[in-house]
Amino acid sequence: MNVHPAAWVVWTLCGGLVALATTNPFYLILVFAAAWVVHAAHRHPGPGIRSFGIFASFGLLTIATRTALVFFGPVSRGSVVAAMLEGARLAVMLVVYGTFNSVSDPWRLLRLAPRRFHEPALASVLALSIAPRMIDAGVRVREAQRLRGIHAGRLRNMPALAVPVLSTGMEEAVTLAESMDARGHGRGRRSRYRSDPWNVPSWLTVVAGTIPLAYVAAMVWTGSPLTMPAYPLGWPEVSLGAVAALIALALPALVPPADPIEPA
Amino acid sequence: MNQALRVSDVTFTYPESETPALKDVSFDLPEGTFALITGATGAGKSTLLRAMNGLVPHFTGGEWSGRVLVQGRDTLEHAPRALADVVAYVPQDPSASFVVDVVEDELAYAMENLGSTQAVMRRRVEETLDLLDVEHLRARSVRSLSGGERQRVAIAAALTAGARVLLLDEPTSQLDPQGAEDVLAALQRLVHDHGLTVMIAEHRLERVAGFVDIALGCVSGRVEVGEVRAILEWTGAGPPVHRLGHTLGWSPLPLTVREARRSAAASGIILDDDDRAAFPRAGEVVLSTTHPLTASYGARVALEGIELDLRAGEIVALMGRNGAGKTTLLRCLCGLHAPDLGEVNAPGGEPEPGANVALCPQMPDNVLFKETVAQEVQVTLDARRIETNGPPRARSRRRAEDVLRELGLLDLAAAHPRDLSAGQRLLVAVAAIAATGAPVLLLDEPTRGLDPESKSRLSAMLRAYVREGRVVVFATHDVELVASLAGRVVMLAGGRVIADGRPEDVIGDSAVFAPQTARVFGPRWLTPERVAEAMSS
Repeated sequence: MNVHPAAWVVWTLCGGLVALATTNPFYLILVFAAAWVVHAAHRHPGPGIRSFGIFASFGLLTIATRTALVFFGPVSRGSVVAAMLEGARLAVMLVVYGTFNSVSDPWRLLRLAPRRFHEPALASVLALSIAPRMIDAGVRVREAQRLRGIHAGRLRNMPALAVPVLSTGMEEAVTLAESMDARGHGRGRRSRYRSDPWNVPSWLTVVAGTIPLAYVAAMVWTGSPLTMPAYPLGWPEVSLGAVAALIALALPALVPPADPIEPA
Repeated sequence: MNQALRVSDVTFTYPESETPALKDVSFDLPEGTFALITGATGAGKSTLLRAMNGLVPHFTGGEWSGRVLVQGRDTLEHAPRALADVVAYVPQDPSASFVVDVVEDELAYAMENLGSTQAVMRRRVEETLDLLDVEHLRARSVRSLSGGERQRVAIAAALTAGARVLLLDEPTSQLDPQGAEDVLAALQRLVHDHGLTVMIAEHRLERVAGFVDIALGCVSGRVEVGEVRAILEWTGAGPPVHRLGHTLGWSPLPLTVREARRSAAASGIILDDDDRAAFPRAGEVVLSTTHPLTASYGARVALEGIELDLRAGEIVALMGRNGAGKTTLLRCLCGLHAPDLGEVNAPGGEPEPGANVALCPQMPDNVLFKETVAQEVQVTLDARRIETNGPPRARSRRRAEDVLRELGLLDLAAAHPRDLSAGQRLLVAVAAIAATGAPVLLLDEPTRGLDPESKSRLSAMLRAYVREGRVVVFATHDVELVASLAGRVVMLAGGRVIADGRPEDVIGDSAVFAPQTARVFGPRWLTPERVAEAMSS
């Protein structure tokens, strides 16, 4: 069953906002787990297949950077923990976005954009598709350089990896833009080859996003604690209601995955 | 007759360039023409093609004068997208031009943009899937396709929208001989039966010469249009039978095997075909596989039971249809892909990429990252620390020059690799990889986009490379290159070796792989040069 791409957008936005609202490690772990479960159930072999892992590593990098920054000022246990959790919050948002990349095809989304918003939609889809393309290019270039005895992993060999990735990335972007134009993109009213029906799984995905967001919004509204007490350091409060609401974020994993696209 | 294309006085100069890429180009192409664009690497073939649907100058900028009318529409007044219903274009490397992820949707993409109805789209998609024999790929992700499959899908995607003019930039460079023949035959049918106009840029003239009606020759920006024979005469390159005709003094010069056979019969030349020479296997084994080698991608078995030994001084051609396992075998030999069973014995133990085995990948752009061509070679030499005696830098600089000279790249040594044509970039990549001096050099389709001149330079360089007791293995679909360069052919099918021996024995009498000269004079006579030698002695 195909989940409507717009439903994935809603789910992603909700998941991201929920992560943004909290620094409670238990809640963050729940959001991360939900994203992982959904990714595992729905990833489809395409350009985005590696994006979950890549964004998860970006996430770890964020945590490390955010934590390292603390050591430039007065250090306390509380400040270190607070910094780590702030980094973790960003990391979980990245992971949610990575999941979106691996489960949804941005081009299907572009088809839905109303004509008036076509240009901004196109720009954002191109931006979205750059990450997976660069990842592909990175893998290829790394291999190619290894074959002439240059190990792209070493710092001084960074240009050997970065330059071809960026320049082929740029060239590919231009070729893609040319190809789209030459094939009549943006010349008038489009028709659809496949219709993307809005179905029960799409509703489920939207609901799975809105339940935790609504619950967290209510907690913010009522002033219930969503953050980690850092000064002084203490145990965060965990409400059972919030846990239940966050588990709902994983609901789309129950939907049978889309018709498989054959792998290589 | 209606003119599909009218080009008048077009002169075009790329921005930041001084010499024009197109000079005073004028010609008309009537509807229903199959036109070949021929010329050396970097002579302006791609520019000419891209000028026909407005990508030049709309996307490139630069200085433009003159006028191109496609089906009566001026390319200056119409953006490429406004011409999409009359002209379709397939670029040299189709993988970057795919817009959507699934093959079937990719085929429908242009029609969606034109607002076709769903009923029309369904019918056209089905017809085109069959026409280019890609029905079995319909549900695949375009990114999972092999090079040859990508080219078929790209042509199919260009056909669906119903454009009357097709522009194809080396559309069969990654197809096996049979596949290329099928695609060209399908295009010819569209030209003959449906009045489409096709312009095709191609280096491997032996593939297309028999299909096209007319030729456009490009020589450094100037374009001549005329009868195929006359244009080939003007550009100075032709298919092997053309060269054969030259050496034997036939007139008119043949363009196809059929014409050459007639001329041969008329001139009464019969060459002795009694050749029972054994396959000489001299030289020590440089690289071998032990236990039948088996490799797979997930559940799909790509190689099965391969046993191979490569001996010093051998130039081995790896052939087989698209998807036969050539690339996988190369990846196993250089240690990039771990086999499930068996192992590869390279000089000094396991294969170590870049040290004892080097591979030039299919996409040369993945290798290039330096500011100049010379640095590109230098950086490999530095990485390998090939310097042995004498002041290291100076010595290796001399080596870098040697490598570039062998490939005819010395004039381009100071050029930025990204400014070169696709064929030239490929040569630079080969130079950069060959500079490792690895005892085993592997090349994956090293002649895509190369004109005959660059191809013979590459051949000479590879011959010199193996003279020092090294081995070269190249995967290719280019039978004429195999005929002139390889001393041994390994033929793969379905992941197994089905033939391994001298080119005369493996491809000489093959219905699919035989080079043109062998089709005229018999399996032993693989190249015009060999025939010329026999005639003179």
